Amino acid sequence: MKNRLKVLRAERDWSQEDLARQLEVSRQSVNAIETGRYDPSLPLAFRIAELFGMPIESIFLRD
Amino acid sequence: MTVAAAEDGARRSSWFWAGMMIASFAIISALRITDAIGETTGFILMACAMMLIIPLTRAGLARQRATGHLSPAVVRYTRRFMIATFGYVLGLGLAVWLHERFGLDGAEAFAIALLPIVPIFAMIWAMGRYLVEEEDEFLRHRAMMASLFGLGVVLAAGSFWGFLETFGVVPHVWAWWTFPAWAIGMGVAQCWMAWRDRSGDEA
Repeated sequence: MKNRLKVLRAERDWSQEDLARQLEVSRQSVNAIETGRYDPSLPLAFRIAELFGMPIESIFLRD
Repeated sequence: MTVAAAEDGARRSSWFWAGMMIASFAIISALRITDAIGETTGFILMACAMMLIIPLTRAGLARQRATGHLSPAVVRYTRRFMIATFGYVLGLGLAVWLHERFGLDGAEAFAIALLPIVPIFAMIWAMGRYLVEEEDEFLRHRAMMASLFGLGVVLAAGSFWGFLETFGVVPHVWAWWTFPAWAIGMGVAQCWMAWRDRSGDEA
């Protein structure tokens, strides 16, 4: 699954560490999701969507 | 200090202490095999060399912190596993010493066999608790994948060796090797995933 996490993070000038802290996950989790190596669970995807104030389908895109 | 510099420093420190520990074990084993030191001295030196697990664990935690893998569950797991490892070394040394000194059998032999077994059960329990307690789903996913890889190594190597042994091609191997084989497989998988993570790390 593709995602726009890196772009959205860059727009806010957040580092992976900043985003990880706000989501209460490890930096490696953010890194793995951004690079498409790991698809987050639905609860984590909802947390990401809430943080960016966007619907899930605007952040995560089907291949 | 930058994140990359912290990671490099922590990585070097981990390798240094791991190398010290392996070298210590190798030297003590060589001294024991050549009968340069006695059984008791060998055990005491091995127990002392095991103390190197403390700086190795600290360096490992620093490395995990630097690479963003550290969570409260990892800290708890590391503490539990370290205590179980000390118990294992002491239990194994004591069991071997009692067995060789007194030549126990029956219920007494069963009792001394429990000395290294109970700490191994504690290690397995610590790993199980880690999977239950880890709140970071990606770290939990990694640990589960590494455990499954270790299990695959045990099943593949055990079946392969078992049939070779059945047909008299290879010598007998003790069943307690299953746990080290699983741990080695898990470690290889963790190293591979760590390498893959580094290659995709943030610039």
